[in-house]
Amino acid sequence: MIFNRFAKEARACVVAAVEEARALGHDSIGDEDLLLGILRADKGVAAETLSSLGVRLEAAREESERMGYDALASVGIFLEDIRREAGDAFDLRIPEGRRVPFSPRAKRVLERALKEAVGLRDSHLGTEHVLLGILGNGDGMAVRMLARMGVSPETVEDRLFELRGRAAG
Amino acid sequence: MDERTKSRVGGPGNPREGLDAVVALRRTLEALEAAQVENAFVAGWSWAQIAEVVGVSKQAVNKKHAKRIRDRCPGEPPRRKEKGE
Repeated sequence: MIFNRFAKEARACVVAAVEEARALGHDSIGDEDLLLGILRADKGVAAETLSSLGVRLEAAREESERMGYDALASVGIFLEDIRREAGDAFDLRIPEGRRVPFSPRAKRVLERALKEAVGLRDSHLGTEHVLLGILGNGDGMAVRMLARMGVSPETVEDRLFELRGRAAG
Repeated sequence: MDERTKSRVGGPGNPREGLDAVVALRRTLEALEAAQVENAFVAGWSWAQIAEVVGVSKQAVNKKHAKRIRDRCPGEPPRRKEKGE
């Protein structure tokens, strides 16, 4: 299992990703949830990279929600209408006791994270490798989410290596 | 133009948006079902009555919703009403 080789920080970001997915009503953990997990765990070079580019947890969460609203609006459904009609009982959060699996895309991100760590000859799997795994999935939700926030994957990658270099002295 | 008729993406010309919409709808539908079942329960409907309208077995409704609703609405279940009230 890949998870065994995760450093503490990377584990924390995966755990945080699960929490984010549940809170946002995502019925599987997507690559965008892994990005939110990095921001929520707020540890390691990856979190530093994102925050230095002005990508904050709250804003990213809102962007993720907006992507959902927009997708619904594209087929003529307005979430606010549904929320108003259904009343206080309407809650998108995933209820306790319901399992939320990793999406194939998120699994691929984690596999790619491992490859990145090996490729960079790093002895541990850290949040920066998870972030690189996310960026490598150009078609994924996370990269689209970043693009909507005005941040390109190239910019993130450049900053990441800049900060890594600085940390390594 | 009416905001509701303005955009017609998600059609055959844009599968990606169409599929994204399906995902968003599925998540919304789950939450809406949970909310409406809870609303019915709070209004005094029995599990059997709810199940009949939803078109699934009583056991299915119970398994999916009972625990969550009991956690959200502690205390005595509401007074049972006659169907359709």
